[in-house]
Amino acid sequence: MMWLQWLIPWEASASILFVTILTASLFVRGCRKIKQSLPQKIAFGVGLLSMYAVTQTQADYFAEHEFFVHQLQNAVLHHIGPFLIVLAGPKDTLFAGLPITGKRLIVGLSHWLPAQALVKLLFHPVAAVLMFAGLIVFWLLPSVHFIAMLDWRLYRLMNWSMALNGLMFWGAVLNSKAGRSAGCRIAMMLAVIPPQILIGAIIFFTVRELYPIYTLCGRAFAGISSIADQQIGGLILWTQGAMMGIAGILIVIQQELRQSPSAVDTRLPVEKRPGL
Amino acid sequence: MFTRQFGNPGPVLVRALLFAALAGLMAAGCDLPKQGRLHDISGHLPNLQFSLKSDTGQAVTNFTYRGYVVFLFFGFTHCHDECPTAMSRLAALLPHLGDKAKDVRILFVTLNPDRDTPEILHRYATTFDPVHAIGLTGNEDEIEGLVKRYRIAYRPGKSDSDDIVHSVAVYVFDPEGRARLLIRPEDSNEAVANAVLPLLNSAG
Repeated sequence: MMWLQWLIPWEASASILFVTILTASLFVRGCRKIKQSLPQKIAFGVGLLSMYAVTQTQADYFAEHEFFVHQLQNAVLHHIGPFLIVLAGPKDTLFAGLPITGKRLIVGLSHWLPAQALVKLLFHPVAAVLMFAGLIVFWLLPSVHFIAMLDWRLYRLMNWSMALNGLMFWGAVLNSKAGRSAGCRIAMMLAVIPPQILIGAIIFFTVRELYPIYTLCGRAFAGISSIADQQIGGLILWTQGAMMGIAGILIVIQQELRQSPSAVDTRLPVEKRPGL
Repeated sequence: MFTRQFGNPGPVLVRALLFAALAGLMAAGCDLPKQGRLHDISGHLPNLQFSLKSDTGQAVTNFTYRGYVVFLFFGFTHCHDECPTAMSRLAALLPHLGDKAKDVRILFVTLNPDRDTPEILHRYATTFDPVHAIGLTGNEDEIEGLVKRYRIAYRPGKSDSDDIVHSVAVYVFDPEGRARLLIRPEDSNEAVANAVLPLLNSAG
């Protein structure tokens, strides 16, 4: 039963456990009222579980003590996990899973002007792109990263901010009902690719140790030198950032292709239809 | 307004992206580690707290070392590289502190409690400094708790290996037991002494 030890959290966080269980139970409750397809359920489950697993198992030990594993952890928290959750389109299901007081609270909040203004600001395409790329840059600034890896409060803030920002960004770009055109959403995904490639490449090509905290506190894998660790971490950021952007763009294009005949029919008057 | 420009979302995004890239590069450029200065970790790590056994077999806690500036280092006596280097540099640092050195304790916590008995630890610590250096050991849980508290990479239960993963940082605590500084191997004795002396003076 050695593998069971892997499921013990390295640093247990009650808030992560609570939010994970709450989200999962809302989804299960909601599924009784709103039909979700099996692939949607799987995407939601895998997305949620992957975010839990990278923070609340022994995997977190390696993420704390090896730079490239830290990059993998952030890839799951900022990209893969939120991407899969959003892909399941769980908003209505989660809402349906709420008890009646919770529903009233959400509806009340959505009519509250300051909340509306905040949502409008946070989901503005330029703001969303700047926040998504800016958050990656911020936590990877050598001095910020140094303290974030030492101070457990900042470490948790970093992981929470990455996860929430990931959900917001992918929620804004992958959701065709979010009110933005496909062109705009594709442009947003294109816009976050170059900064990630740039930061990944800077980290990869830097010959000096940018993140000495891993050496100071010890590396999880003794066989990997500090520069090799840094290079692998840079490569992960470089490649997976671009990869997830492309995957998202393909999904949006597919959504559009599926909807396009009806879209042409309803949006343009007959005389302006292309090709007619 | 932007939401209405469905056909042409490009220019704003391109400008925003260029701005972000520039800001990122500038921030990265300004963020080079400062040479000649120690890492100040005040407020970022929890206060010194442990319950272990000293190399003379006595039970010791953080309160035993109240009033001393504590240099905390983790290692094991069979280590050939980082541990002897760190211990001898700490011993060599003490003369730089003058007569204030009497208020310093170098605590060497073993990461291999099975192999490093108190006797072995005592011989090891006194080799470097018979007065100020003290070897500490404990059971696996006690050591793992301390290691986790200070975010050191360590996997227990590999006592037969000489190749235990470990840290190179020395943690400095003030006489009140608060975490204050992180010493890197490349920090000069002068820089360390300059940063540590104010802590010693606050001890009175």
